[in-house]
Amino acid sequence: MHFQLDEDHRMIQDLVRKFVDENLKPLEPKVLERDAAGEGAYLTEDEKAAIDARSQELGLWGLDAPEDVGGSDLPFVAMIGVNIEIGKTCTPYYIPPDSPNLRMLMATVNDDQRERYLAPYVQGGTISAIGISEPGAGADPAAMTTRAIRDGDDWVINGRKIWISRAPQADFTILMAVTDKEKGARGGMSAFLVDKGTPGFNITRKIPMIGGQATYEIALEDCRVPHANLLGEEGKGFAPMQVRLSTRRMQMASWCIGAAMRALDMMLDYAPQRSTFGAPLSERQTVQNWIADAYTRIRAATLMTYETAWKLDNNMDVRTDISMIKAYATEMAYDILDNAMQLYGAMGMTKELPLHLMQSHIRTQRIYDGPTEIHNWVVARNLLGLKR
Amino acid sequence: MKVLVPVKRVIDYNVRPRVKADQTGVDLANVKMAMNPFCEIAVEEAVRMKEKGIVEEIILVSIGPQQAQETIRVGLAMGGDRGILVKTDDTVEPLAVAKILKAIVEAEGPGLVITGKQAIDDDANQTGQMLAALLDWPQGAFASAVEKDGDTLKVTREVDGGLQTVALQTPAVVTTDLRLNEPRFASLPNIMKAKKKPIEEKTPADYGVDTANRLSVVKVTEPPKREAGEKVEDVDALIAKLKAAGAI
Ligand SMILES: Cc1cc2nc3c(=O)[nH]c(=O)nc-3n(C[C@H](O)[C@H](O)[C@H](O)COP(=O)(O)OP(=O)(O)OC[C@H]3O[C@@H](n4cnc5c(N)ncnc54)[C@H](O)[C@@H]3O)c2cc1C
Repeated sequence: MHFQLDEDHRMIQDLVRKFVDENLKPLEPKVLERDAAGEGAYLTEDEKAAIDARSQELGLWGLDAPEDVGGSDLPFVAMIGVNIEIGKTCTPYYIPPDSPNLRMLMATVNDDQRERYLAPYVQGGTISAIGISEPGAGADPAAMTTRAIRDGDDWVINGRKIWISRAPQADFTILMAVTDKEKGARGGMSAFLVDKGTPGFNITRKIPMIGGQATYEIALEDCRVPHANLLGEEGKGFAPMQVRLSTRRMQMASWCIGAAMRALDMMLDYAPQRSTFGAPLSERQTVQNWIADAYTRIRAATLMTYETAWKLDNNMDVRTDISMIKAYATEMAYDILDNAMQLYGAMGMTKELPLHLMQSHIRTQRIYDGPTEIHNWVVARNLLGLKR
Repeated sequence: MKVLVPVKRVIDYNVRPRVKADQTGVDLANVKMAMNPFCEIAVEEAVRMKEKGIVEEIILVSIGPQQAQETIRVGLAMGGDRGILVKTDDTVEPLAVAKILKAIVEAEGPGLVITGKQAIDDDANQTGQMLAALLDWPQGAFASAVEKDGDTLKVTREVDGGLQTVALQTPAVVTTDLRLNEPRFASLPNIMKAKKKPIEEKTPADYGVDTANRLSVVKVTEPPKREAGEKVEDVDALIAKLKAAGAI
């Protein structure tokens, strides 16, 4: 057994670290300022275009995409380090293409869709969204009611989606809908590729979220999608959707590790500098406990995440592991950021430090892609051998 | 022309070094290591010369433990062609490094050696100069610009009080200063290509160099702690404070 990443994977992580230090962290003051002004924590189009150009120049696009569409086909274990580095900044950015939809497309596209959607997604940096959640179906996506009915060469979709990230920016949305009411999640749910601007795909509302984010509500009103845009097999949308969610959960665990590392670094920086009652904070046992606890939990999360990635790369069953790391890492990072904010006192409450933005971002991660309670339930259920 | 670029594995410049409790040195256990920044500048300069067509081959050398292979690999990903790892777990002092490099120069026949002006671990600032002396080659230390003109290298040097430009007859030794260039990041495709570039493994004994230390470290201590500063309201207050302190 050996606990070392391959040399090239370490070098890739180093490259991303430099990219984050040089291209993302310098934008933090601007992002924080916009967030403080109530505009959301966003990058302007120009800023994003400049960063995209740089990440593309460094060969960072399509890290985990297949080689035949221009990707580097990196294994999951290599992506952990990449996402840990990305997680160290509050500047919102992901290297194109965003992995979860990529993995879902990889698992489902036919040759025509590979050319029309997957290739431009990898090479051209097209943006995608995912529409699963509904007003009546969140933690339990199998409860969704959005319906797609076949009509000649088309599918006609009706229903409502909510909390959809990136909906207006997305060149296409992967939309989940029920195609067979009787079968539901077990063989009756399908995925569709819905292009931006498709009639009947109506974005009705922008919902401001904490962490400077926004989601959108979508009304699907006789939204007509050609049969050629059915993604994967009819009725078999649930499994690839789970592939997608697993990828996001691994990514989230890695982001959370990165964010917690940043918080720990900031604690190590500040604790010896700030004196109260004649002694530096670093000499207080409470503070020392925060630091030891952060170090230990970051390490635990890191090892669990790497092991899960390694299992995924070796085609092993990771259903319990994925839920475990998603719940553990998001809660871990939230707590550590909280301790860091406490250590910084009033300064930790300002909208000038990245801590609050990272924390509220992670606060949402304790909900999306499955709330903590659901993941703990999955772990316990699997251990107890209980059926849902 | 071939260029030889020695690259050293040192504590990463982002890491805050800590002195070992017994004061025998800096604690390197579980510390992130990286290529010495001045060596990165040296590799960059060599790669730029290759891109300009002045140089045909870039050979990277590192003298150190097995892990120094990674430092060579980083240089290969930046654009080096092949590497030589001279493996040793001992501390190798600048003179011994210069002797090993001399032997490699004699075996490889480069027209130019570019070294960092110093390594950020010991800040010795000796190896390049010693190598030039041992080879009896001209040297341009602390280079902030290098230009090739036929067999002559014009090297602008950062010296006390200004810049000095010297003309060196190749073969020569150049050591890099901070302002010579800004090293590139090894891009992902180049990291992948570097995997396939050869690294030869040697030992100091292969070059007949005795690396026994001539110096012994008596004690390593942390620099004195900086006193906490004071915040002032405005420029007038600052001037008053400085006057009171007798600084102006
Ligand atoms: C920032 C953000 C971005 C999002 N982006 C997207 C997107 O792009 N696409 C998309 O489809 N969705 C998106 N979502 C939606 C997200 O996936 C859902 O919010 C999530 O699945 C939870 O669903 P819900 O909000 O309906 O909570 P509910 O299902 O109503 O659950 C509420 C709470 O009840 C508790 N709970 C529920 N069931 C159980 C149980 N069985 N046992 C114990 N406790 C339970 C949990 O604490 C849970 O937090 C996003 C959400 C957020 C916050």
